[in-house]
Amino acid sequence: MSGRRLDKGGRIDRSKPLTFRWDGKALQGYAGDTLASALMANGQRVLGRSFKYHRPRGIMSAGLEESGAIVTVGSSARAEPNVKATMQELFHGLEASGQNAWPNVRFDAGAVSGLFGRFFSAGFYYKTFMGLPPFEWGRGTGLWMKYEALIRKAAGMGAASREADPDCYDHAHAYCDVLVVGAGPAGLRAALTAAEAGRDVILAEQDFELGGDLLNDPFAEPKRLALIKAVEQAGVRVMPRTTVFGLYDNGTAGLVERVTDHLPEPGPFMPRQRFWTVRADATVLATGALERSVAFAGNDRPGVMTAAAGRAYLNRFGVLPGQRIVIATTNDSAYQTAGELAAAGAEVVLADARERSGNDVALGGRLQHGLAPLEAKGRSGIKSVQFARNTGSGWQAAGREDCDLLLVSGGWSPVVNLASHRGVKPEWNAELACFLAGECAEPVYMAGAAAGVWNAAACDASGEAAAKRAMGFEAMQPAPGGWTSPIEPLYEVRLPGSKAKGFVDPQHDVTGDDVRLAHQEGFVSVEHLKRYTTLGMATDQGKMGNIIGLALMAEALGKEIPAVGTTRFRPPYTPVAIGALAGRNVHGHFKALRRTPLHDWNLRHGATMTDAGLWHRPWYFAKNGETIAEAYVREAATVRETLGVCDVSSLGKIAVQGPDAAEFLNRVYTNGFAKLAVGKARYGIMLRDDGMVMDDGTTWRLAEDDFMMTTTTTGAGKVMVWLEELLQTRWPRLRVHLTSVSDQWAGVSVAGPKSREALSACLADPDAVSHEALPFMGVVRVKLKNGIQGLAARISFSGELAYELYVPADDGEAMMDLLWAETKHLGGCLYGLEALGTLRIEKGHVTGAELDGRVTIRDAGLGKMASAKKPYIGKALQDRPELLRKDRPQLAGIFPKDRSKTFNGGALLCQPEEGEGFGEGWVTAVTHSPALGHWIGLGYVAGGHEAWAGRTLMASDPVRGAPVEVEVVSPHMFDPEGGRMHG
Amino acid sequence: MDDQMNALQKQLVPVRGGKPGPAGVTLSQLTGFRLTQIAAWPETLAEAGALAAAAAGCGAAPGPGRAAQGKDGTLLRVEPLKWWLLQRAGQTSVPLQSGSAVAILDLSSARTLVQVSGPQGATLLNHFLPLDLRQASFPAGHAASTAFHHVGVTLWRTNAGFMLALPRSFAASLRELLEGSALQYGLKTRETAFSLATGELE
Repeated sequence: MSGRRLDKGGRIDRSKPLTFRWDGKALQGYAGDTLASALMANGQRVLGRSFKYHRPRGIMSAGLEESGAIVTVGSSARAEPNVKATMQELFHGLEASGQNAWPNVRFDAGAVSGLFGRFFSAGFYYKTFMGLPPFEWGRGTGLWMKYEALIRKAAGMGAASREADPDCYDHAHAYCDVLVVGAGPAGLRAALTAAEAGRDVILAEQDFELGGDLLNDPFAEPKRLALIKAVEQAGVRVMPRTTVFGLYDNGTAGLVERVTDHLPEPGPFMPRQRFWTVRADATVLATGALERSVAFAGNDRPGVMTAAAGRAYLNRFGVLPGQRIVIATTNDSAYQTAGELAAAGAEVVLADARERSGNDVALGGRLQHGLAPLEAKGRSGIKSVQFARNTGSGWQAAGREDCDLLLVSGGWSPVVNLASHRGVKPEWNAELACFLAGECAEPVYMAGAAAGVWNAAACDASGEAAAKRAMGFEAMQPAPGGWTSPIEPLYEVRLPGSKAKGFVDPQHDVTGDDVRLAHQEGFVSVEHLKRYTTLGMATDQGKMGNIIGLALMAEALGKEIPAVGTTRFRPPYTPVAIGALAGRNVHGHFKALRRTPLHDWNLRHGATMTDAGLWHRPWYFAKNGETIAEAYVREAATVRETLGVCDVSSLGKIAVQGPDAAEFLNRVYTNGFAKLAVGKARYGIMLRDDGMVMDDGTTWRLAEDDFMMTTTTTGAGKVMVWLEELLQTRWPRLRVHLTSVSDQWAGVSVAGPKSREALSACLADPDAVSHEALPFMGVVRVKLKNGIQGLAARISFSGELAYELYVPADDGEAMMDLLWAETKHLGGCLYGLEALGTLRIEKGHVTGAELDGRVTIRDAGLGKMASAKKPYIGKALQDRPELLRKDRPQLAGIFPKDRSKTFNGGALLCQPEEGEGFGEGWVTAVTHSPALGHWIGLGYVAGGHEAWAGRTLMASDPVRGAPVEVEVVSPHMFDPEGGRMHG
Repeated sequence: MDDQMNALQKQLVPVRGGKPGPAGVTLSQLTGFRLTQIAAWPETLAEAGALAAAAAGCGAAPGPGRAAQGKDGTLLRVEPLKWWLLQRAGQTSVPLQSGSAVAILDLSSARTLVQVSGPQGATLLNHFLPLDLRQASFPAGHAASTAFHHVGVTLWRTNAGFMLALPRSFAASLRELLEGSALQYGLKTRETAFSLATGELE
């Protein structure tokens, strides 16, 4: 193919030249070009290498069905592989390069694989590399593991950039009455009809210009412009550069808008693409039709492309794609193209496979009937075409024609993919030799060529009819068809016994012989054929080759095409960038971050933060270059010696209100809540239905019918959902309202022997938290010296005299300023999660690490909290025999035998002589205890700590280190009597 | 008394950013409001509605998915049995107390209020909210509970724009998303004291 730019004609703007680079070489195109048309105009023939055989490939189409000109656009972080050059809008500075080739697509060392092509038939890797016979026959994959990397390197598409994507992407939602997909003549008419009737219409077009096939017809320009103007005036929301890639339930469509892909880089603040979810009352699919090729030897040579593409390059892009052109057709559609190419100065031979045709288009070239292409000859570009004639009993060679371009029209396939997404079964139309979408039970209507309507005038009527139906009116669709003479169904041309490769699916290098081989090996289902040969599984999803493959399988089976069936198309219609799927939910916004009211205050005071569910919580407050270990040990020791203040705002808080609130809590918790007095808090355990512990926390009774439940930080959402479910499904008569108030309050734990002193110094009434006024597990409303009102409860997670102080979140920082001043004055500190963990491990208090969903209330050592006097959720199933076994793993404390050593959280507890297996238990938490002066841990061990008194176990952690000898002790490792807490 | 800090305080400096020209979106951080939840029981719905309407100073409590503006506050029906009463901090109105008909709960610190206004306000919100915000479908006086990046939020429309109530702990993170997307339309951010005019519906 020796394409050249014409001096005039086409839609390109010759006053706006654009410089771009192809494989490092500077070339020039014009505004309005695609990368493919610009490359063609610059005489570039070989633009890619094939997937498996590394055969040279050129431009095969002018649209998204492209299987040859698949390139990498951009470089470094913006390198995007597998871009169809036919769909890439040219821009100044565009960089593109060939892929799947070395050193380049013109001289590719990988082409040597083509010499071994006979070994690379369908399923060759399954057969060859699943074990080396006879040594690995039926069992081994050793060699496969070695070859796999080589195969993957040799075969494939482009490589994605390893760098982070520098661009951003948006998600977006839109709603409309009618979504029209495709802005060709039928789509424009449908959009106009619906909009003029007052409907809210979105018109999505994948091209950067509206018009569809009108763009390829210079004489249709006035009509196109008039339609577009009318559409805009009617208020249609037009979305160019937008592909509808999927149709889903209830009128939902997935769209990708390429916002800035036509620019060197996105403008400031602009996303590269937008991922749209559009919900429409009705959808019109005016998605057009794709011209298909025919399988014959060398049908993938550079210089072989669809006839419609030849017309597009001539009329839209002002490029004469060849000088000596052979057009091989089976239908009327190529006649117009032949005439236009001849008028543009090409020497044209039109070979019509039909013995006669009634077409009256002025041809301007030679017309030969009864000939079909048998072989395209040439290597890096076609030089001649060998014809064949069907004798009735088979094909016979029938002459040859020199050429530099072979245009092929094997018929047209309406784009029914989106209808197929909705489960609409394609129906074979033998007269038109194509699949048409059947009737859809949903409000989805086909229009134009997508409905098999080939005639331009009928496309208008089809669009109008589809729009009317979308609006709920009766309308008659024009009948499919529109050619003067019927099509000659033709899928493959080959001489008997020929070994030459005729491609069915050029993008995946699937040949006609591969289809026949699959049939010979028993893959008779079209679904199996697809998977065995990978036919239709490349990035074009079989747009070029599926019907040819079906036809060949039908022939092999001796059936008609409809009897073979077709595979169901699935989203996406075209590939969707992962960035578009992710949208802005990346990096720090992969998950929404929850900040406590004291977040900024903590950071200002030296906190190092850590994740706790969605929250960021202070991990530790390092002083003067302390390590985390030094910091948390200091913090924990300070709490035990004086006091510490810890942000506990992230704890889940649920307002439980209503006259039945106490009864509700009484049913949820294992222990009694019905008689909890106002002004009192109680620690509670709630179980799942299956008797396992779900969550724990304290609940405060603020008034007769008003409680505040606290949950674990990470369990809050789960508990809220669970409680709502109970109220709505099991106990709908209980008058209880639940409201999350986790965000309403800023909360701190004030812990340590001097905690009362610090707290009372902050209050307007210092005696409000005296031992008498606020005994252990008491709750009072307090007023701070600065006027802030809040709640104080005397509860302890650390085992020290401790309080939790809650104020409205907006007052959190002011409260903290006050409290921190008093804390510092008394020699106290701020402490984070790590020290919090140390303090609770010393006390044997459980958290999510221990309450992991496998644990009963008895396992956790809290069996005394399981009331025998009342029913509660989980009560029945917690007494299953298996859960009552004495040798179940139970909560225990763990000391290293050698007190200078440590061990790992997550280690298995094994008997010394047992290095394998599940062991006798596991370690849930480890810390260095400043109170005890050595490392300690919590965990579960079979039978509990008393069963292992005086015995040695091994904390075994083979992945991370050597086993450590440990002894099992009571989980209450510090102040077991609780004297300090009650102090 | 206090140095009240809301979730977005550090971002409250008025900013004009993104695409030059007239701002397509204005994000206004609203301060100084009181948010009270009024929850009814099925059998006290009418009585509770009357109490809520009296507190807001409007004729009748709004039905599901609606907001109503009264002389003393804005009333939103956020759940079948729950209203939110939004008032200026310090606003005096008919006192509300929990009783047999209603359960009252202060949520003033639990939500951060952001007004989203400007010609691209709906477009911006639709980057995140799967709601039909076309004027005919969601005019002033409509309210919805919906999800913003998997976080439950409350949205209602006034004549001045959209009001978005964000859970306080998520507010900064969600606002970063709003701002990041809004730059393409031209963004103005500011702090505004809540007033009944802000929430004026008609």
